[in-house]
Amino acid sequence: MTTAAITLRRQRTPLAERLDLIVTPVFAGLLALLGFAVWLYSDIDATTSDILSYENISRQLVQTIQLGFASSLLVVIIAVPIGILVSRRGFPRLKTALVDFLGLAQALPAYGLIVIFFTFMGTGLTTVVYALALFSLLPVLRNTIVGLEQVDKSVIDAGRGMGYTRLQVLLNIELPLAVPVIMAGIRTAIVINIGMAALAFLVGGGGLGETINSGLKLNRGPAIFIGAVMVAILAMVFDFLSALAQKYLKPKGI
Amino acid sequence: MSNDVLIRLENVTKKYGDSDAAAVNNLTLDVHRGEVLVLVGPSGCGKSTTLRLINRLIEPTSGTLYLNGEDVTSMNPSLLRRKIGYVIQQVGLFPHRTIAENIATVPKLLGWDKDKIADRVDELLDLIGMDPETYRGRYPKELSGGQAQRVGVARALAADPDVLLMDEPFGAIDPITRDRLQNEFLRLQQDLKKTIVFVTHDIDEAIKMGNRIAILREQSEIAQLDTPEAILADPADEFVENFLGSGAILKSLTLMKIADTELHQVPVFKAPVMRDKAIETLQDSEDSTSILLDADDKPLRWLDLAALNRTSQPIEKSGRPISVDLQPEDTLQDALTAMLQSSVGLAAVTDRKGKYLGCCTIESLAKLLVEQGAGK
Amino acid sequence: MDFLLSLWGYTSGRFDQVGQALIEHIAYVVSVVGLASVFAIVVAVATRHNVFARELSLAIASVFLTIPSLALFTIFIPLVGLGFAPSFIALFLYAILPILRNTVTGLDGVDPSVMEAAKGMGLTNSEILLRIQLPLAWPVILAGIRIATMLTVGIAAIATLVAGGGLGDFIKSGLARLPLPNSLEAIWLGTILSLLLAFAIDMALKLVKNVTISRGIR
Repeated sequence: MTTAAITLRRQRTPLAERLDLIVTPVFAGLLALLGFAVWLYSDIDATTSDILSYENISRQLVQTIQLGFASSLLVVIIAVPIGILVSRRGFPRLKTALVDFLGLAQALPAYGLIVIFFTFMGTGLTTVVYALALFSLLPVLRNTIVGLEQVDKSVIDAGRGMGYTRLQVLLNIELPLAVPVIMAGIRTAIVINIGMAALAFLVGGGGLGETINSGLKLNRGPAIFIGAVMVAILAMVFDFLSALAQKYLKPKGI
Repeated sequence: MSNDVLIRLENVTKKYGDSDAAAVNNLTLDVHRGEVLVLVGPSGCGKSTTLRLINRLIEPTSGTLYLNGEDVTSMNPSLLRRKIGYVIQQVGLFPHRTIAENIATVPKLLGWDKDKIADRVDELLDLIGMDPETYRGRYPKELSGGQAQRVGVARALAADPDVLLMDEPFGAIDPITRDRLQNEFLRLQQDLKKTIVFVTHDIDEAIKMGNRIAILREQSEIAQLDTPEAILADPADEFVENFLGSGAILKSLTLMKIADTELHQVPVFKAPVMRDKAIETLQDSEDSTSILLDADDKPLRWLDLAALNRTSQPIEKSGRPISVDLQPEDTLQDALTAMLQSSVGLAAVTDRKGKYLGCCTIESLAKLLVEQGAGK
Repeated sequence: MDFLLSLWGYTSGRFDQVGQALIEHIAYVVSVVGLASVFAIVVAVATRHNVFARELSLAIASVFLTIPSLALFTIFIPLVGLGFAPSFIALFLYAILPILRNTVTGLDGVDPSVMEAAKGMGLTNSEILLRIQLPLAWPVILAGIRIATMLTVGIAAIATLVAGGGLGDFIKSGLARLPLPNSLEAIWLGTILSLLLAFAIDMALKLVKNVTISRGIR
């Protein structure tokens, strides 16, 4: 899934915000019901139940969550400070060039990056983590820069004029006011990470994609469906949690 | 440097990049303790730059800055700014903080204790006429433009600085609110007696607000620096004359008070009015209009001969109502406006309690203006 | 350097394969985006007077984008079998949001005074929609279609992991045969070609934009 898609977060009107928090859980619930229905009512033979065994599923689930988390954390720790640094005075041209480049780079299909990475690093979980981290870095980096850029300059001027040092201006004014935009970028990154984590199996990284893949290879419909449903639900859960974080980390008064 | 000078810019120059043209060129300027000094000039002359040199938001390329006799050119700029109040046109209230938190910003930076800060916030909200209970916890987005700017001023006064810098603070506000804010501010300044450097592009505002005005040319060169009266009476050169505009004489009306003129006395009547006697008195006088007073000597209506002759109507309903309330402290410009409104060429003046004192006439105003012009 | 040579070697020996993959890929993209555009525009127009319905459609459309592509592709397989169908449905669902959102924004963004004037001149609601709103909103809608296209080109390659066909075939076979010879080249070929394809389609759409948007609003 490319970032081009996810960076189109909609205008956050109050109605849109509320629907955002309702529609996703409802959908996830419906999918869960479907999954259960399939589990209960379709033909589960030995191969299928093997694919869907508790050990397999729980292992893959943990792998996927770990992968998603690890890369997301890595991304935030790297991208936000770089974004802040580039936004300081003295780097205006670097900043614009970077924003343009990032806009273009977001059109890259994600897997391309995975491919490039494991050309140089070999297959395995760590490779995928790094590749995902780099890819999902883009929206966070871009949003950090843009978020800081859109802070009302007169508020910054007033802050400096009153005697805030540059560091104090950053911590008290710029960052809090940039949080909504930065959070949107982080949310995007998290969703990308989960999405790509599903593909980790392609390069030996395990994860829930394996269930789907096994189902495909062994032609077991229920396994495919349940695997897909689980991936979908996991992604929606993470998105929902990020949406909550986005809502509650937004400073009052904006 | 005398104790009287609070701020001094000495030979200050500001150049950007490699260009030879300076934004501010070798400027020397003294700001006296307790005065409102207005920097006014055409766009691009460097008045905002000059202002921002004082709190070093813009660093001088060369020259020295003195605050209260002390050389502050190289001290830590953030510390310097915490001693100076700063108000800008767009206000710049922190949207993510409450009004109270906004106002408390500098005191907090200076390490005041919580109770002192809370008291000070309430004190300031009272001062600007906004009820602390209601507004303390509100956010900037809930305020109107005028309210926001009031809070901006309160925020600048929070740590009780001696100096206030104001960069076109009322520029983004509608004319009616602006007028009100200007008056409120002048009243405040009478009590607080801060030293204020005020930037505006509006010469009328400069005349109204300033104790001294500095009219600036490009590169912040001072064309004339003097009191408004002096500048209006005697512009230094063509540039200043053009800047004052053709309304200079009318502008000088805002500097004069009704108390400075002699009031004219028209015939006055109090109820119960004997029509015949009244008509006779009015005909004998040189005036064409008389005034009806109420029991407390407050002027009620303008009565001319036609009104007095109209026996079909009671006296109390004849003629024209007197609506404007002028006092001796009001300016001649207010008097002129009232005269035009009354359409009888007269403005009734009362004391603080509303008791009739006399009238301003268009003739006396014209005489005064001629004298002013002749004195040039 | 060696790698580039071997990449070239790999490609030149397979031009017709490459050509076919490209054509399949393009076919995927064009049909998906075309259908999604029609659907999205219809929904946007239908809900243009009802704020709740509109927000709801946008919310639902954006939930789809949360679902990882692999999951969305495969979830339909048990329903419609392997092959073209499941990936098509998934790509279709993905492509809806950008176009829907932009159409909504575009229609909303038409100056109300222009519509007021039109109404005053006697145009009916549908005439206003067709002759004024849609043409004025077209630049924004087209921008949405561009985004949707880029999206689709990118994900389509993953689709082919599931369904076969298109440039993903190269990537898939390459991945499967690692570290055998030519596997890396296959992967890179697939990746680079989809990138180039994305650029090419973007250029083509820019051309469409310049041709179809009246000079008055460019």
